[in-house]
Amino acid sequence: MGAIELEGLTKDYGPVLANDDVSFTVESGEVFGYLGPNGAGKTTTIRMLLGFLNPTAGTARVLGTDIRDRKALVEAKRRIGHLSDDQAFDEQATGAEILDLHAAVKGDERRAELLDLFEPPLDRRVRDYSSGNVQKLGLVTTFMHDPDLVILDEPTNGLDPLVKHQFAEFLRAERDRGVTVFLSSHILSEVRRLCDRVGIIREGRLVTVDPVDSLLRRTGKVVRLHSAEPIPVEFVDLDGVHDLETTVSDGRGVDPEAAFTECTFTFTGDINELLDRLPDHEMVDVSIEEAPLEDVFLRFYGGEGDV
Amino acid sequence: MFEFARYDAAKRVRGSVYLSVGISLLAAFAVWAYPSYSEAMDMEQLREAFPEPMIQAFNIQTMASLEGFLAVELYMFGWIILLGLYMAYSAASIVADDVDRGRMDTLLSMPVSRPRLAIERFAALGVPILMVNVVTPVVVLVSADLIGESLSAVDVIALHLLSIPYLFACAGIGLLASVLFDRASIAQRVALGVTFGIYLVESLLRGTEYEALGVIAPMRYFDPNEVLLDGTYDLVGAAVLLGMTAVLLVVSQVIFVRRDI
Repeated sequence: MGAIELEGLTKDYGPVLANDDVSFTVESGEVFGYLGPNGAGKTTTIRMLLGFLNPTAGTARVLGTDIRDRKALVEAKRRIGHLSDDQAFDEQATGAEILDLHAAVKGDERRAELLDLFEPPLDRRVRDYSSGNVQKLGLVTTFMHDPDLVILDEPTNGLDPLVKHQFAEFLRAERDRGVTVFLSSHILSEVRRLCDRVGIIREGRLVTVDPVDSLLRRTGKVVRLHSAEPIPVEFVDLDGVHDLETTVSDGRGVDPEAAFTECTFTFTGDINELLDRLPDHEMVDVSIEEAPLEDVFLRFYGGEGDV
Repeated sequence: MFEFARYDAAKRVRGSVYLSVGISLLAAFAVWAYPSYSEAMDMEQLREAFPEPMIQAFNIQTMASLEGFLAVELYMFGWIILLGLYMAYSAASIVADDVDRGRMDTLLSMPVSRPRLAIERFAALGVPILMVNVVTPVVVLVSADLIGESLSAVDVIALHLLSIPYLFACAGIGLLASVLFDRASIAQRVALGVTFGIYLVESLLRGTEYEALGVIAPMRYFDPNEVLLDGTYDLVGAAVLLGMTAVLLVVSQVIFVRRDI
């Protein structure tokens, strides 16, 4: 049995089909990434899984509980942790008061350990919290009752790089303890760092579910080269070069079809092959970056309405 | 159980103290003002001096006794209108404010059903309702004693007891608005508008052929004049108010449970 099983989950808002017949399974003990651009329908799926929204059609099971069974879902939440994408607490209360309420309702076996790790300012009122501190307090409330399944909606929102790193290590340790993690993100690099498998959603439809390795092979890098002297275009005649754009700085008297001083392309080939060629030319600047998620979608899943 | 009721009740203590102090000042002022009014003028003439709609709206029966004067100045105005509106307004934020500010997801991530959450938080309104009804009668009775007027302590206490179901019924109107609207500011305005609207319907249509419309108004079932002037306690009215509260709670629950958040 999967920890989360979606069967044709659909949410129709009339003008917008926020989730369109979404089906996939999150296996027990894995870290599953739910990846998609903002507005793709990730939060809608998560809010249906937790019973906040009623599905228009289809259903899902969370830890074996049908989400349409309200009473059973409330009970199942004793074993579920949830971090919302817009985590908010009673602003008049202090962090400690919030944790006391959560502890009274669902338990707090791991409170001390989590506070050591994330350190939200407990004596301050939530009103005076930064967004990063709200997120830290949210991480404590999500994990404090030692859940079997955690559902995290954009969990690294607002965290500074150091805490992000701590969080990534923490999440891996949780997985090793057998906790199932379902996390949504619009950042590809985050998902690749944290997840075993990835489901991609776009415009409410599930596009693919892949192990993270095979996804990475398909997504490619954005490469930008800026050379001191014109380079013949044959330089970039490599397997795996897409969307090549070249320019020549003015006054060189060089045919822009034949050579370039600046070029940009997406590269899905062997990075070593590209690096081998670089020493032959004097470079002003070189960057190799993660492809933006939207480009990934356009490349592999077609354009508008063409998924 | 009752974690949310306890949490909300603790949060409401401070506001309830301010409310009780404010209403107590109003009460003390009303009692203190009575002798100078009654010495300066004929209070029956004062009553006649009010325009008819106002006599109707405030259900002014007599102002020629401290009981009648308080029924109008303190209880019609302070309890039926002011506190009734305040309770409707407060209850209107119970659900809508958390939905509005994105806190409802955090609350409902916990193992708690929506009905339990709403009922417990509704019950926490008992803190201001009880506090104001414990403090004010003491102030009223002590101030009456200080100006040398006698008031029936039993009647005053009975009046405050009977006002409790009334105030919960007004809060029920607020809760219903709270589950119907996602934005707290709209829910609060609707709760205020509806509560005041049915108060007007009940008081201005009394004695006309449309009087029956007031049957849904909580104000019909709680009459300070009756208690203070006649010493009669409308227990059936109190039961109707409790029933009305229960119906408003059930309807609010049904709507809250089924809706998307």
